[in-house]
Amino acid sequence: MDFGFDEQQQEVRALARRILSEQVDARRLAAYDEYRQPRFDAALWQQLCGAGLVGVAAAQRHGGMGLGFTELALLVEEVGRSIAPLPVIAHCTAALAIQQFAADSLQEALLPAANTGKLLLSAALAEPRNEDPARPLAVRAQRDGDALVLSGSKRAVAFAAEADRILLAARVGDDVALVALDPRAPGVALSALQTTSFEPQCDIQLERVRVPAADVVCPSRGEDAMNWLAQRVTAAICAHQLGAADCAMRMAASYTSERRQFGVPVATFQAVGHRMADCYIDIECLRLTTYQAVSLLDSQQCALTEVQIAKIWAGDTGHRVSYATQHVHGGTGIDRDYPLWRYCLWLRHNEMTLGCSAAQVAALGQRLAVGEGLFS
Amino acid sequence: MNIQFSKEQLVLRDELRAYFAELMTPELSAECERDMGEGGGPLWREALYQMGRDGWIGVGWPESWGGRGLSPLEQFIFVEEVMRAGYPFPFLTTESVGPVLAEHGNAWIRAELVPKILRGELLIAIGYSEPGAGTDLASLRTSAVRDGDDWVINGQKMWTSLAHFCDYTWLAVRTDPDAPKKHRGISMFLVPHSDPGWSCTPVHTLGGVRTNATYYDNVRVSQDHLVGELNGGWKLITGQLNRERLSLINFGPVSQLFNQVTRWARTTELPAGGKVVDQPWVQQNLARCRALIECMKLIVYKQSWAMTVGQLEMADASAAKVYGSESFIEIYRMLGEVVGQAGLLRAGPGQPCPEAGRIERLYRTASIITFGGGANEIQRDIISAAGLWMPRASR
Repeated sequence: MDFGFDEQQQEVRALARRILSEQVDARRLAAYDEYRQPRFDAALWQQLCGAGLVGVAAAQRHGGMGLGFTELALLVEEVGRSIAPLPVIAHCTAALAIQQFAADSLQEALLPAANTGKLLLSAALAEPRNEDPARPLAVRAQRDGDALVLSGSKRAVAFAAEADRILLAARVGDDVALVALDPRAPGVALSALQTTSFEPQCDIQLERVRVPAADVVCPSRGEDAMNWLAQRVTAAICAHQLGAADCAMRMAASYTSERRQFGVPVATFQAVGHRMADCYIDIECLRLTTYQAVSLLDSQQCALTEVQIAKIWAGDTGHRVSYATQHVHGGTGIDRDYPLWRYCLWLRHNEMTLGCSAAQVAALGQRLAVGEGLFS
Repeated sequence: MNIQFSKEQLVLRDELRAYFAELMTPELSAECERDMGEGGGPLWREALYQMGRDGWIGVGWPESWGGRGLSPLEQFIFVEEVMRAGYPFPFLTTESVGPVLAEHGNAWIRAELVPKILRGELLIAIGYSEPGAGTDLASLRTSAVRDGDDWVINGQKMWTSLAHFCDYTWLAVRTDPDAPKKHRGISMFLVPHSDPGWSCTPVHTLGGVRTNATYYDNVRVSQDHLVGELNGGWKLITGQLNRERLSLINFGPVSQLFNQVTRWARTTELPAGGKVVDQPWVQQNLARCRALIECMKLIVYKQSWAMTVGQLEMADASAAKVYGSESFIEIYRMLGEVVGQAGLLRAGPGQPCPEAGRIERLYRTASIITFGGGANEIQRDIISAAGLWMPRASR
């Protein structure tokens, strides 16, 4: 039992925090407001690659640092704290899935370039009205020799327009195949979405897109790989939510300590202090459930229950912290010249992505009903 | 970062689980149930002696205190397992006052009283609150006045739980009525209930649990009974309360109850067909409880780990207390909804489901720890000040 972080983990966190706090501020984030440009800071991304952070959890044979999912989660937490315009979650989790499931040749083709920033990865995790990443219904594939021909649609794919390869699951008869799609291949159409958080996302339309055998990650039983990936993306979203919520809370604590009404700081009113104490407790719950899920995934253990519980807390905590921090700021919290509002957008984004609290509660409840997930 | 017990700790847990399966005879379980989960009966006492003889009570105490020298984590595993077995363990004595006595007690206390605690032979009640001093504890008026080599104590305490079968009260008294700050004039004494000036009357509560008013009428104790420094009691009180706040949040029994209710819902048929658990709202209640209890588990694990490495943060101890106490109420409510009408029936004849009978009682007792052990409002004050550095209104 150890709730602390070892020296290496502390160094990763400190390095990430230093770079991101130097390179991300409200003025720079403003450049991406209202879709003025795709919310992707390419220069900062290269800097993060150069510092080795993008490949923090990637194998050394591919040029990564060879550390674990815990170190990646600590990086993601710092990305959340700064709400940096970076594709860390999409790219790094997709790279881990390729490293885990793809043939050596495909790993060789993609991962060294992915870790140096020459190639960007993402994954298609949703379809219209279907949020189960491992059960594709809207994309079907036919085998053509060892190649696959895909048709159908995926929904709200993060960084689809910027990515060089997108992990994408397709139904092949009763089976599921997983491919690393080139979004510039003939037959692929992207349509950009305007998301609440300004994250660049596209719907993907596939019209008889031919994926060569070399780009097929799993010709069969791709649902296992997608479940593996989805759990890691979900845990990473929880870590992002943790960083963002913690930052919003501390912003509100500082603001109410300075802001004076009736001649005293508003923080001295118990109604205000207690609302912030509730944020503190919520965030501690999110922190503990997230770290637990992350550490289990790091050691490749079954973590389905723990990931579901962490995501329930990510949804509930994000929602409650967003409204509590807006409220205690008064009008300042929603003023676009003050940094809080962008955090509120991300708290909402993370709440709703890959299963909101209600959906996670339902999924966990169904598992409890068949005798899974009880206490040992 | 590794939120799992070591192999050795899991072996210890299994050993304890087997130990308590044997210790908790049906007769002892029935006695504990009768005593409202408080203990104090003859079989309960005999079982406590047994745990003492077997060296369990101080398993995580340092050897210099007479313990077995394992860490607070092993101590925590022991307490979780004993509570999980349904034995009302006197944790206020062993987990909160006991360690303070072992650390700050004089030679007589360490030689005479602490070993008895570890043998299960000595029980201590806590005497803080008074009719006029609750949340504002430092305004307490029970006094100790020096008389020759002795101290003479007069006053009244409220909510002195368990006092009717304890041997001593850990008593907060005013020793300097003129102290410039009222919490600087308080000292801690151990008062034996055998003194003719000590008396106790019952107070019966909503949950059926008995507590007490205790009276101190010229109680005479020697200097040996003063714990720590004269007028230095406040530090001991806050240290004890920090420990108490943690021991109030046991996840063992509630995780056990959750498993039992889930099994009941999975196996109990509905008259119109299907099982209780097939209803979506039941699944939702169970999942919500599962998520709440998981967090309770992690919070207490983290606190035990923090105590082991010596990093117990005040804000986190208060957060654990607020979260745990308020979650218990939510959990009992939601599990009570699952068992339905049976959750309104007391344990005993006509109650078809033993878990439901327990929920009926637990729901009635759950408010105690939202105000006991330091009101949650005060805990939230501590969190915003110590955890978020927010300024606090002066009181």
